[in-house]
Amino acid sequence: MNADAKTLAKQFQPKQTKVLKPDRQLVTIRFSPCGKYLAGGGFDSIIRRWDVAATEPVELPPLKGHGGWVQAIVFHPDKRRLFSVDSWGQLFAWPYADKNPQRLWSVDKAHDGWIRDVAISADGKWLATCGFDQMVRIWSTDNGKKLGELAGHGCDVFSVAFHPSGQSVVSGDLKGVVKQWDLKTNKVVKEFDARIMYKLSRLQDVGGVRRLAFDPLGATLGCAGTQPTVGANVQGTPTILLFDWQTGKVKHKMTIGGNGDGFVFDFHFHPAGFVMAVTSGNPGTGKFFFQKPGDAKPFFLATNLPNCHALAVHPDGKHLAVSATNPGSNGNGRQLKNNQYVGNFSPVHLFEMAGA
Amino acid sequence: MIRPAVRFGMALFVVGFLWSSTRAAPPLSERIDALVMAKANGRAASPLADDAEFLRRAYLDLAGVIPSVQEARAFLDDTDPGKRAKMIDKLLSGPDYPRRMAEFFHVMLMERRGDHAQWQEYLHSSFAQNKPWDQMAREILCGFSDSKETRGAPFFYSKRLERYGQNPADYPGLTRDVGRMFLGIDLQCAQCHNHVHIKDYKQADYQGLFAFFTNVYLNDPKMPSIGERPFTKKVEFVSVFGFTKKQTGPRVPGMKEIEVPNYKQGEEYARKPDNKKKDPGRLKFSPLSKLAEQVPQSDAFARNAVNRLWFLMMGRGIVHPLDLHHSKNPPSHPELLDLLAKEFVAHKYDIKWLLGEIARSQTYQRSSMLPENQKVFQPESFLTAHEKLIGAEQLMWSVLQATGELERTRQFAAGIDSLRSLFVKAFANPPKEPEIEFNPSLKGALFILNNNAVQQLLVPRPGNLVDRLSKLPDDKVAEELYLSVLTRLPTADEKSEVEDYLAQKTDRVKALQQLAWALLASTEFCVNH
Amino acid sequence: MKLCKPWEHNLSRRQWLGSVAAGLGGLSFGNLLQPAVADQLKKKNKQVLFIWLDGGISQLESWDPKPGTQFGGPLRAIPTSVPGIHISEVLPKTARQMHHLALVRSLCTKDNSHSAGVARIQRGDPKNRGVTYPFFGSAVAKLLGPGDSGLPPYIWIKPGSGGFKHQDAGFLGPKYGCLAFGDGKPPENLVLPNSISEEDNQARLLLRKKLDQRYAARRPKRSVEATGFVFDMAEQLRKRLDLFDLNKLPEKDRERYGNHDFGRHMLLARRFLEAGVTFVKVNSYGWDTHGDNFNAHMNMVPKFDQAFAAMIEDLVARGMLDNVLVICMSEFGRTPRINGHVGRDHWPEAWSLVMAGCGAKRGVVVGKTNDKGTFVTTEEYDIGHMFHTWFTLLGIDPNKTEYDNDGQPLPIAHPDCHVVKELIA
Repeated sequence: MNADAKTLAKQFQPKQTKVLKPDRQLVTIRFSPCGKYLAGGGFDSIIRRWDVAATEPVELPPLKGHGGWVQAIVFHPDKRRLFSVDSWGQLFAWPYADKNPQRLWSVDKAHDGWIRDVAISADGKWLATCGFDQMVRIWSTDNGKKLGELAGHGCDVFSVAFHPSGQSVVSGDLKGVVKQWDLKTNKVVKEFDARIMYKLSRLQDVGGVRRLAFDPLGATLGCAGTQPTVGANVQGTPTILLFDWQTGKVKHKMTIGGNGDGFVFDFHFHPAGFVMAVTSGNPGTGKFFFQKPGDAKPFFLATNLPNCHALAVHPDGKHLAVSATNPGSNGNGRQLKNNQYVGNFSPVHLFEMAGA
Repeated sequence: MIRPAVRFGMALFVVGFLWSSTRAAPPLSERIDALVMAKANGRAASPLADDAEFLRRAYLDLAGVIPSVQEARAFLDDTDPGKRAKMIDKLLSGPDYPRRMAEFFHVMLMERRGDHAQWQEYLHSSFAQNKPWDQMAREILCGFSDSKETRGAPFFYSKRLERYGQNPADYPGLTRDVGRMFLGIDLQCAQCHNHVHIKDYKQADYQGLFAFFTNVYLNDPKMPSIGERPFTKKVEFVSVFGFTKKQTGPRVPGMKEIEVPNYKQGEEYARKPDNKKKDPGRLKFSPLSKLAEQVPQSDAFARNAVNRLWFLMMGRGIVHPLDLHHSKNPPSHPELLDLLAKEFVAHKYDIKWLLGEIARSQTYQRSSMLPENQKVFQPESFLTAHEKLIGAEQLMWSVLQATGELERTRQFAAGIDSLRSLFVKAFANPPKEPEIEFNPSLKGALFILNNNAVQQLLVPRPGNLVDRLSKLPDDKVAEELYLSVLTRLPTADEKSEVEDYLAQKTDRVKALQQLAWALLASTEFCVNH
Repeated sequence: MKLCKPWEHNLSRRQWLGSVAAGLGGLSFGNLLQPAVADQLKKKNKQVLFIWLDGGISQLESWDPKPGTQFGGPLRAIPTSVPGIHISEVLPKTARQMHHLALVRSLCTKDNSHSAGVARIQRGDPKNRGVTYPFFGSAVAKLLGPGDSGLPPYIWIKPGSGGFKHQDAGFLGPKYGCLAFGDGKPPENLVLPNSISEEDNQARLLLRKKLDQRYAARRPKRSVEATGFVFDMAEQLRKRLDLFDLNKLPEKDRERYGNHDFGRHMLLARRFLEAGVTFVKVNSYGWDTHGDNFNAHMNMVPKFDQAFAAMIEDLVARGMLDNVLVICMSEFGRTPRINGHVGRDHWPEAWSLVMAGCGAKRGVVVGKTNDKGTFVTTEEYDIGHMFHTWFTLLGIDPNKTEYDNDGQPLPIAHPDCHVVKELIA
């Protein structure tokens, strides 16, 4: 580890503080911009809320009404609203801090089928969604009115993000193509090549750009996923490609672990210049790591959390949450516990960074 | 009236009876015949093969190729009554013998999993110097090599320790194969429980054998080389039918469990592994070395070896299938198996000697034609010669020999290699399937029918078969053709068939090609009868 | 741990080897106890299309969706052409063909490993009698015969390698094995070399045959018959080389079946069925979705849906569905529980298959799983029940027909199972 990395490790090494134990599996978790709440979208169509400002986190009544999986959530910078999308094509807006929130508005058929991601513009005016129907759509945060429709991917669109400037939106698809759209013309300006994140294995299109994020200045676009080698029991090496936003060229390619480690499911840029990410691969494997672009190895790596699917960063920049999976989540055939067939769940691990 | 075949059998019976009362035992070949006839139960044996049938068979078995037309003609013309014995000696000491043995043992031991130049070199040089089988077994089973000469031996393990697609190295499969190849027992079903039908195969036997391999790993597939990690933990197992936990250290079936000495961590190696040099190091206590030492001491070892060598010559084991030696699957000729094993050990596991003895026996030299008036073939009686499988390699050499293209092709190693891969693709079994009996396949038929490489061998070139035939008058064609391809003279009918065919066809070369092709595609050519 | 397979418990392989010789004695109904039945069957020209989704399609993302429940996954269910029957949203085209189909949602089988499971299911999981039972394809090839297609009775279209797979036939003997067309292509070396005319070819084959007859005069017949069998098959195939050329079909057909392996293979299967082949198996691999199960199904099931629906449509349009039994299944279903790799594991406890045609009841669902989709709440059907039902639909009474394995009578389906009457129209 170089000196720089050592300093970073000293300053930012996360330490686990608590574990939340929802009884079901989660797709995503995010902190509210006010810092008081952690929200999680689940396999059970509900959005869980925890008050994490209290000494002991308190679970609040959930937000109900979605169908399928609550796939993604974003908070509005106004610290009042939360937007969520599900696998049945619905887009909802919630006053998340209410005791028993009633939906502000809803779009029942925002997409035909699974909505893969939702993003919000820096000024809070627009939402962008993308989905299995191969479309990217722009919505007003005020009333859910559709403002734009970006067509052209030709396959499942997995991820979407706004550039911090608010001028453009990027979307990443199953086949590893990332398109930059001009929001004035709704036309593609540029494409970023992340096709190493795709492979046709027998009948199956495997992989996809699973998460897109910009660094705070908007100079770097990060695309996360896997470099797949085979479908079915999908195998691949977790990978993040960092593109130069201006030139569209790959600046850094970060990989972690090996072929069995699967996908980078979630990641963020830290203002100090490093990337924070989580992975999930073969049952039981999961990595939570911090790495500086350009470094060969992470300066922080935890391998004790099985199958991490989401990473949330607290607005104070010092607290983190990782949603993982219970150990022993897989196995063939009838395995009963106390005569019951039990499902899995996603423990949410709360961390505090060293310098906090 | 007593038919000749029966009389012949009775004569042998008398021989067998006589030698037991005299001092010097007759040669093994005669004792083989006596024991086989003793089990005939009055059934007629096939007559001895004629010279042509014998010659073709001995060539295929001991040289891996049919004889050239000149060799065939010379042998048929030879009037020396001892010519068969002389031919056997000539083949056993000939240059093709080690190649043929390397091919046979390669297919038997590796079952088409893959090949390696060092492994081929090891097999070839071992058979060239007629290395005793127990020594070869030790060299293969110890898993390591410290001399240039045995460098390829670990390939038996290293290939099996490779990952297969996404699957990890198949240790149970390796355990099973060591049992099958070296002891003649297939313990696969005893992995999880005592064998359901075979009382002799115990789960503890499987697990004891398995324990030898638990710490073995693939060090370098290119070398080939494997390594062993220190043995620290016995194998624990529970029958799927029961609940009692048992454990075992390394143990060869039928022998005692080996005491594993305890070394302190860090002191287990006599020579420490060196990753940079890809040296796996040497343990002070190596289970594989123990395995190599003990397997040849097992009774099953010699019995398995002679059974497999008998199979090589006779097309069927005395115990058959070859890897199911157990009390419910008894040998067809128990005394014979005992005798062969005893003599093999007494002759220091000398493979060439044993093959020679079998080859000289009348049992080996019988015709594959059933005795007259007999319809049913009794494979386990060995009274009629089996129609043996011709392996892909034997077939390639023989097709080249028959078409008169052997010498020309041999001059280019690359030519042989590419032709071999075509023949292996068309005629070998898929990986992991033993090649035991003649099973013609669609792909093989299509290869012979339409592949260009086969057609090319029939294009006339100076001195090759079709060229020679094209220069002969119609009434001389059949003899040259039949002797070249089928190693026998044509019958009168066959001779006139050839003449008629040539008379009908306007394009004589084409007609000769079709005649030659028909012989190459015939069952008579494609089996070792 | 690799478990042993039941048929490896044979006392020795002797019986099997013995029957290899027996099975080659001419393509006849020789080792059936009731030859009369076989003759009757031959006239009906029944056929089977057997679609095998290798690795295990998820019942929850196909035939038995449980949307909005704990293990239901992210997908929706959609209505079908039969009121009240819903299937997964990834099968929109098949949903419109539902009135031709029968779903079985109450399969409960015994094996959760692939290595044993594939063969165990396709052999009908018979009672262990120390013999290796034939795969369903070999059984049907034996029981129905080759028909008059001039082609082998049991053909397999699959990705990967091809060849003749005699192992499928078990004790029936290698000639009831399966001829596999790897990547849907004809085998190598099927085309006559330019230098050989059709006439020359027949001439050389006749010479070859005469040699074999002379050779076999005093020898056991097995070798010559086995060689003749493969040479004859080579000729049969060569004469139907045209079947493999999908480019001769209208562009529209190729689009309807889909521009992917499975679509092409299904279209080829239709051609073989039209040509009269008795049993056509089509394999698709890669359904063992231990990881990323939902994306896999969203991606693969629609490709299946396209080709499967097109096939049903075509069989109906040609009036063939009355005589062609269509079966689509895997070796097991997938666990309701979703693992950390967002996959589903192996689940033989409660799963589904779809079938159609040849007198199967149309537009029905048989059997039921509980609300969570974890277990069967109606009578559990093993593969033996399906074998009874399929044989019955093919006009073969599974209770009266037996194999004759060198004197050993063997039932064609597990005697502890029975026909599922609800599936029979």
